[in-house]
Amino acid sequence: MVNSGGQLYTIEGVAAGLIMLLTAYLVVGATSVYTPGDAHISDMQLEVLGSDALAMMDTPPNSSVTESPLQQIIETDDGSRFRNLFLNYTNVSGYGPKHDIQFSASYTYEAPDTTITSPPINSSRNLTGGEHAVRVTKWVIVNKKLPPLSADPPENRAVLVEVHLWRD
Amino acid sequence: MLAFIWIASMIPGILLNLQSNTIDFDAVAYRTGVILAEDPGWPSSPPWEFYGDNQKYEISRFGMAIAKDSPGVLSQDKVNRFFCSSFMYPDDYQKWAIFGDYPYRFNISVKDIDGGTGQSVGDVLPDRYGYIRRLVKIKGTSNTSIGSAYFVAHKYINNTITAIPSDFNVTRHEFSILINNTKLREEQKSPAYQIDPTRDQIIINITDLRSTIFPGYNPGYIPSIDRSSVNISLTSIKVYKLDGGTLSMVRTFDTPYIDGSSTPKAPPVIVQDNISLIINPRIFDIMQTGYSNVYLNLTFEMQDHAVPPNPLNSSFLNNTLTTPFDYNYHPANVTQPQLRDAVMEVAVW
Repeated sequence: MVNSGGQLYTIEGVAAGLIMLLTAYLVVGATSVYTPGDAHISDMQLEVLGSDALAMMDTPPNSSVTESPLQQIIETDDGSRFRNLFLNYTNVSGYGPKHDIQFSASYTYEAPDTTITSPPINSSRNLTGGEHAVRVTKWVIVNKKLPPLSADPPENRAVLVEVHLWRD
Repeated sequence: MLAFIWIASMIPGILLNLQSNTIDFDAVAYRTGVILAEDPGWPSSPPWEFYGDNQKYEISRFGMAIAKDSPGVLSQDKVNRFFCSSFMYPDDYQKWAIFGDYPYRFNISVKDIDGGTGQSVGDVLPDRYGYIRRLVKIKGTSNTSIGSAYFVAHKYINNTITAIPSDFNVTRHEFSILINNTKLREEQKSPAYQIDPTRDQIIINITDLRSTIFPGYNPGYIPSIDRSSVNISLTSIKVYKLDGGTLSMVRTFDTPYIDGSSTPKAPPVIVQDNISLIINPRIFDIMQTGYSNVYLNLTFEMQDHAVPPNPLNSSFLNNTLTTPFDYNYHPANVTQPQLRDAVMEVAVW
């Protein structure tokens, strides 16, 4: 005997399938929005902070001072001063949350024989590779013998200061 | 079944809204941080911070940077005006700094690290919020203190300090200060270090006035004098503008601070020893002194109340015979604008 029972089962099956598809879509859709968004914002905040810190270090305090602290640091290889200034800028507390920031800094220049060299400036912690670090850079003009053992007198050179920074 | 499917289809939208709001808070905080730290705001001339409370609805956008070319260097005048209590939280700030239709709550603060002060506007921070922190510099004001050593070195006392009685006996007491806007603009191009009287306050302190009465007094020439009984009266401060070779008086300056008082007093006024002129940039902006020379002329009168009277009129501060005091980039004349470290924080929720 043929009746409508089979037809009912088919409709029920299709509806159940649709609900399962919908549920899967919801689950996948919801998670894919969360993760990348959060990580990106956090990186952006760190990057802005690092760029600002380098920009402030490259600003002389008044017109009588001709060289910025950052220029002086590169010229005199004063890594500890860089460390103090950079950590002071990045970890200084306003009214918001405290930031426990670590960094590793170096500068890069091109020698007359076109070799690229990147001597370290200073670091608060060694970069092991496991950190989720962001990279900020700043071009600085320094009056310095580069490479240091060069026979030429010091001259104005552009060097790229590069800092990796990450949260502890 | 259809109703169930329809309701279920709305769930992604709800979830998306919840999450996108969190991202949005950070993004709005970032955007607000950029607007405030890197933009000078709008209108730019006259700048928004000059608009009084009655004209505040003409403001289009807040911004605290001194100029577009100097992002991250804030103007002290703009910072003070931004946190001025005449702006209403949250409406005014929402309109001119946060933007958007969503009724955000927020907290914006600027902490002057070198100055040790802080200003903020907004609600108390909740547990979760969108956040950005900007490291900035605040451009301080330039100022000068003209005292006895300076008067002597630049012959600003109207005798040559030979202590010959005839040299003391003078009646004209005028002290002139020059603000050469053309030179100020040309000698320093960077807005971060420029002395710009149309945008930044300038402070002129004139001290040790009493020391200029009978300077270099020699009892051999004048038997007895009584400095303390001579009243110094500041009769007027006139502002002249030199435009195209024509010198014209534009206005008087009526708000000098006398002898360290916290309220200004209009001349004529009796001065014991010092005068402070705190010149608001609005004064220069209204006079349209972009590239003109401006002279501030202080006129004094001496009133001798000594008994018996001093035998002569006293000499006093006067540089009409020499040169006006030049408010310039020379560190010996003027303490240059100093950039102070500060932190700007924006929290949005």
